Amino acid sequence: MSTYDATGNATRRPFSGRRVRPGDLILQVVAGLAALGSVVLVGLIAYKVIEGSRLSLSTFGLSFLTTTTWDPVHNQFGAASLIFGTVVTSIGALILATPLALGVALFLTELAPSWIRGPVTALVETLAAVPSVVIGLWGIIVLGPVLRDDVMPKLHSGLGFIPIFGPSSTGATIFTAIVVLTIMILPIISSISRELFLGVPSELKEAALGLGTTRWEMVRGVIFPYARGGIAAAMILGLGRALGEAIAVAQVIGAFNGPIHANFFGPGNTLAAWIATEFSNAAGLELSSLFYCALILLVFSLLVNLLAQWIVRRVAKKQGLAQ
Amino acid sequence: MPRNGKALRITLVVAAAALLGVVAVAAASAAGAKSSATTLTGAGSSLVAPAVSGVWGPAYSSAHGVNVNYSSIGSGKGIAAITARTVDFGASDAPLTQPQGAACNGCVQVPWALAGTGPVENIPGINGLQLKLTGAVLAKIYLGQITNWDDPAIKALNKGLNLPNKSITVVHRSDGSGDTYVFTDYLSKISKTWATKVGKATTVNWPTGIGGNGNAGVSAQVNSTPGSIGYVSTFYVVQNHLHMVRMLNRAGHYVYPSVKSIESAARALKKVPSKTAGISITDPPKTKKYANAWVMATFTYIIVPANSAKGADLRSFIDWALEPAQQQSIQRLIFAPLPKLVVNAAKQRVKQIQ
Repeated sequence: MSTYDATGNATRRPFSGRRVRPGDLILQVVAGLAALGSVVLVGLIAYKVIEGSRLSLSTFGLSFLTTTTWDPVHNQFGAASLIFGTVVTSIGALILATPLALGVALFLTELAPSWIRGPVTALVETLAAVPSVVIGLWGIIVLGPVLRDDVMPKLHSGLGFIPIFGPSSTGATIFTAIVVLTIMILPIISSISRELFLGVPSELKEAALGLGTTRWEMVRGVIFPYARGGIAAAMILGLGRALGEAIAVAQVIGAFNGPIHANFFGPGNTLAAWIATEFSNAAGLELSSLFYCALILLVFSLLVNLLAQWIVRRVAKKQGLAQ
Repeated sequence: MPRNGKALRITLVVAAAALLGVVAVAAASAAGAKSSATTLTGAGSSLVAPAVSGVWGPAYSSAHGVNVNYSSIGSGKGIAAITARTVDFGASDAPLTQPQGAACNGCVQVPWALAGTGPVENIPGINGLQLKLTGAVLAKIYLGQITNWDDPAIKALNKGLNLPNKSITVVHRSDGSGDTYVFTDYLSKISKTWATKVGKATTVNWPTGIGGNGNAGVSAQVNSTPGSIGYVSTFYVVQNHLHMVRMLNRAGHYVYPSVKSIESAARALKKVPSKTAGISITDPPKTKKYANAWVMATFTYIIVPANSAKGADLRSFIDWALEPAQQQSIQRLIFAPLPKLVVNAAKQRVKQIQ
């Protein structure tokens, strides 16, 4: 049944052919406002960040990206070592967390006896709920000293010819930050991967096993290809979290803004951590430079998101062709 | 699916209820604040926060019916807040710099509490108060020129101490802080290299070392890193029984921070600048009477506009805080009472507030 207006034309409404009920209208308005609100919010944030960084942008321009001084006394600011720290800690955490997370997800979907799955799943997801400031504190008091006394010296003596495994004297290092970030993004990647693996049709898995593959061959040949796009998206989500994590990193990385060094067993700093640490104290050009840092971080996040969408779309296309 | 739908609906309802609750509470507290008597809002220094919001605020409100709301947001932000006039007073451990003073447009800064900073160490086999250093050696350590505890320069000051062959881990504040200001103010007076290369501020470009966030962050790094040296507020040193370092003062004594030695540093002051300039009492002059003066003591300041609607209220609050009883009441937080000379100068400055 369709409704007609005074001129006798069928009214064009979203659910055409049905009478417009007030509930539908309210839903549409509320949902539309919510969507509009988030768009406006992102726009306002971007505007504010750009406006805040204008002084620093005009003072330092692009050289801000290549210099490493952060000197409020002499009003010289540069973010190169912050950018370097942000990139290496995030990528490092991603490299460590991905295989671990996939292992956890495989264990929970394919390998573990069913009575173990529930509790372990719950525990892994609890890890995601631990406040970052708590992980950071644990990082200073427990993890840092253990890495400094047991892990870093061994890696240094064995692999010291690679510059990133340099000498260590403290627990507040880039490496500690990488490990802390690994712990924080592990549950994100593993819980998404677990959902993906559960979604693999059991016919495919059984067919592969029926053909006489080992479990690992089945995982490699069926589960991973099937979930590839999703895993990539999960990794990007984890990367986004790692890029933006401020508090836990600020607690363990040692806040060293000086020249960039390759030694991961020395202190460093990241954009997010430094913004969180220094913001309450800064004024004038320094404050503007912190906004500049925020702008860089915003651009990073945008690029990461675009990359994620591109990967997911490409994989979906490929799978569409294959099927 | 239907179960999911239900869960979603329940979540939405709960979220909406929580939001409503928050709005209601915020509205109620805003209404409550409006209906009460005068409120002085202040923001800034975290060093002075335990004194202002923990001791003075409640006492002043019960004695004079004026509420004092203080937010501990850091000295730099406190200066920004009073410059923008979003608060009635700001508080800072570092005095206003020239451009800050100009931007603040006729602000009066009054010293109203006296505290200090002290170096702490974690050297295996060395107890608190055993290690002795001079300002020059401390500057060289923080410049990265002395890097091992068995350096001859340190050994020469500590005959009889078994200093290990261990590299020095320098720890400093990563966040901007009044402690950093006092520490770098002292090193700038002692070392020319420090003054030109690094300078004094609430955050500086550290030549070496690792940063810890807040007093807690620095002391956590020092405690967990054998071979480290750091600096923290005297309140924090005393409360947490950290290993203090004794420093050589101009009178030739090795001293450590305490209420007494901090007070001596302020008393060694002979003249107080009359207008609104900052008063530095680090590296106090050599006097016989105050031979135990601590080298890294500091005033902390309240910053108020010379003209404001609450001028009279601010005047009485600051005058009250400068009274001996109030100065005594914060001694347990390791604030030393202001000496008379400074109180008089402070009162002169209070008179400028309209």
